[in-house]
Amino acid sequence: MATIVPQRTPPTSAVFAILLSLAEESEPGSRNGRRSANGKHGYQIMKDVRMPAGGSVKMGPGTLYGSLDRMMRDGLVEETGMTDDERRRYYRLTRLGESVLASELNRLDAAVSSARSLGLLPQGGRS
Amino acid sequence: MKPLKTQDERLIRAYSRALHLYPAGFRKRNAEAMLRTFRDAVEDDDLVRRDLVALTVTDLCISLVKEHLAMLRDTFARPVLVYNAVVLAALSTGLALALYAIPQQVLRQGANDPQIQMSTDLAAILNRYGVTDGLHQGALLQSGGVVDMGQSLSPFLIVYDDQGHALGSNAQLNGQTPAPPQGVFDFVRSHGEERVTWEPIPHSHAVRIAAVVERVNGPQPGFVLAGRSMREVEARIAQVSQMARFTWFGMLGVIALGTAMFGWYTRPRAE
Repeated sequence: MATIVPQRTPPTSAVFAILLSLAEESEPGSRNGRRSANGKHGYQIMKDVRMPAGGSVKMGPGTLYGSLDRMMRDGLVEETGMTDDERRRYYRLTRLGESVLASELNRLDAAVSSARSLGLLPQGGRS
Repeated sequence: MKPLKTQDERLIRAYSRALHLYPAGFRKRNAEAMLRTFRDAVEDDDLVRRDLVALTVTDLCISLVKEHLAMLRDTFARPVLVYNAVVLAALSTGLALALYAIPQQVLRQGANDPQIQMSTDLAAILNRYGVTDGLHQGALLQSGGVVDMGQSLSPFLIVYDDQGHALGSNAQLNGQTPAPPQGVFDFVRSHGEERVTWEPIPHSHAVRIAAVVERVNGPQPGFVLAGRSMREVEARIAQVSQMARFTWFGMLGVIALGTAMFGWYTRPRAE
């Protein structure tokens, strides 16, 4: 059954980066790594979003947990209910979160294609 | 959990203290996880300590403001609170307007009282004799000496012919007998009477007159104007306006305070 994504304003860069981070699988064997089925904890997300592939967003714990609070309220992410013995909380995307991410990626993809066709970006590759 | 250097322990302790700056609800939900995340960052050897400190300080500044604003919004800007406050403010605004408008109208209408009687009486005499002959027979003399319209609070009378030229008067302003705008005469010609606030010196609020203008019909038609300075009445109206304004601000203050207190006591509590 297709999920209907309600029309919403584009997510902020922090929210988008968190969605992206939670969408990808964490590297097996990485430090504190968990597979995305169990979600990711705060510092994993912070590290992901700092990477160029994660959006290069420098985010501290305050912004991270503030964003996660609001994303949970909006139903985009959920706690997995899992905490390890070092009291880390784990988060994962909800169906709605996945849909919102997909729709935002489509929007960005369309914008990039448009920029390419206008000659603002080089054809067939990253700028 | 690996052992930390003293410097790192200090950093974590400082961050733990800084977490107390967040609103209680946010702190209760997230402080433990935030501290754990910060500890993970401190333990990460790949992260340059100076960058971490700079990032954390910036993040604290931004997120503290953001979370306090969010807390204020959740506490005081809930739709039900805003709706109630707006309705109460609208009611108090209506009440304050009524507190001003009702006495203002009573005072303003009351300012016409002697003039109505005076103009009606004089018009009745002039209706019988005509404006010119009536004046010759001393219709105005019963009113006493000349009134200075700019200074005196006494009521006065002016008689005009059908074209609006002054024929006789017991009042003067700067040595002359002024006449109201022609439109007033036109209105009275068709309606019989008009009650207006008249400024004998156009575009100046120095002299304002509560004027009652009556039509004189009969053999020599014309107009009778009875007037009186509104200086005292307007001073009272200004007092009423000030009291209504104080009442309005007072009511708005009580509504704001009450809404803030109600918002605070019914604020969403941390789970």
